Amino acid sequence: MPIREISHRISLVFMLTLAAALLLLGRAETYVFDNARQIVTDMAAPLLEIASRPVAAARRVVERTDEYAYVFDENERLRAENLRLMAWKDTALKLESKVQRYEALLNVQIDPSINYVSGRVVSDNGGPFVDTVIVNAGREQGVKSGDAVIDTDGLIGRIVSSGEKAARVLLLTDLNSRLPVVIEPGHYKAVLAGDNTDWPRLEYLLSTSSAAPGDRVVTSGDGGLIPPGLPIGLVIQTSDGYLRVQSFANREQLDYVRVLKYEFPVDVPRQDPPAALTGPAIVSPPAPPPVVVPTGEPVKPKPAAQKPKPAAAVKPVTPAKPATTGVGVTTMEPVADPDEDEPGAPPPPSEIVPNDIVTGTGTGGTE
Amino acid sequence: MARLDPYTPTPAARASRVVVMVLPFVIGIACVLLSFVPVGRIFGSSNMPAFALMAIFYWAVVRPDMFPVYAVFVVGLLTDLLSAGPIGLWAFTYVLTYTIVLTQRFLIINVPFSVFWIAFLLAGFIAGTISWSIASVIYGALLPVRPVLTHVLITAAVFPLFAFLFGRIERRILPSG
Repeated sequence: MPIREISHRISLVFMLTLAAALLLLGRAETYVFDNARQIVTDMAAPLLEIASRPVAAARRVVERTDEYAYVFDENERLRAENLRLMAWKDTALKLESKVQRYEALLNVQIDPSINYVSGRVVSDNGGPFVDTVIVNAGREQGVKSGDAVIDTDGLIGRIVSSGEKAARVLLLTDLNSRLPVVIEPGHYKAVLAGDNTDWPRLEYLLSTSSAAPGDRVVTSGDGGLIPPGLPIGLVIQTSDGYLRVQSFANREQLDYVRVLKYEFPVDVPRQDPPAALTGPAIVSPPAPPPVVVPTGEPVKPKPAAQKPKPAAAVKPVTPAKPATTGVGVTTMEPVADPDEDEPGAPPPPSEIVPNDIVTGTGTGGTE
Repeated sequence: MARLDPYTPTPAARASRVVVMVLPFVIGIACVLLSFVPVGRIFGSSNMPAFALMAIFYWAVVRPDMFPVYAVFVVGLLTDLLSAGPIGLWAFTYVLTYTIVLTQRFLIINVPFSVFWIAFLLAGFIAGTISWSIASVIYGALLPVRPVLTHVLITAAVFPLFAFLFGRIERRILPSG
């Protein structure tokens, strides 16, 4: 056997061993490889972006051709949909004012508006075992691990690693994806778990829940990583008996996406009660016991003229340092000025964030 | 005074020889990058063929001297780094598939293209089985087979086009070996 042949065989065996060692090392030294991954991704992102431009252009041509073929049908469908949506718009406006009114009444803290970064999906998964894409927005744009990523239809996944100029999005269908969700309208909580199929599974769903195909699935916001109320998809039931989710976002047509820079409000600023509720400084003993009215009418405070210190009826509403956990009960004031009930009144600032109550406001990404 | 040897290649000629020698490897790297470009979305699909496997198979059969096992390893590692899967999955899969193809090379060389194609399909199934087994062990669960199967079949379906391109490059540019 010639020497060249022997050395050739040795190098084959050596590289096989090296690759096998890499498999084991990759499990142990994740930090090193994650860094290497980010560097390579950052380097490849500009190339991938350039390469994906003609792809996007070609796709637009194909889509345009499709659209021309169905332009009349589509027009007809859109007209019908427009009519339907106009009715919905009225309902939505009514509900909006109602919600605002309730929020004002309950002293609910409005979710802060969420900033976002737009980016383009420049790469596809490139393998059958993972479901991730790369977007051309990275740390320079403020993208960080854990940020939710949405497209125009709904949530598609979250950022798992971000380099300077590019970040990787773990899609909901990936085997490693776990996301706390809520199934509306029953408000059942569950975990949406990807399993490399097209439809992620709903896990940890209570056996007593009556979630059924067709129900809407939105993010729950549990864990504080992803804003609550982002639309995900509809519940479906597959032939294997599992409840799964058909996402609103089309996996095959990801293009421009938004990375939501959501910050869970851990530092809730001190909020004073509405001006109408504040009175002179309270130094008096606890409020007098409520008067029991046998007719069942609500207890009304006596007017200020009849009582020297009307604010004494109000329990102290501002603790020195407001709770920040979001678990507490929003303080409902027994005494309220009748004017406060007007819908037009500015929403009073609140002090505590009950996370479950405030869903989906200010996300700016669901239109 | 330095003696000018008429047979010494000029720097340009030397450079071009280096370029020609690394060309298959560069093609392999380009194939890896291409497999991450969302070309499939033009047709509304997110399935991408394993272009790198085509390059590895082609050069392993036709010119293994120009695509050594080190190049295969680098191509696999780059795939691993760009995809979010386990590190070493594709490096190991590609090196093992390359080794198997090399050992069976004498069966495939100088055969009609259809046989060459079927051989590639087999190599694809081997690579799919290896990678599926490793990924299943690493994730600790039996992964769905369908995505792998689709991946292999799409790769095999696109192979003739790339084999044709590689063949052109090999005949036009590379020196006969």
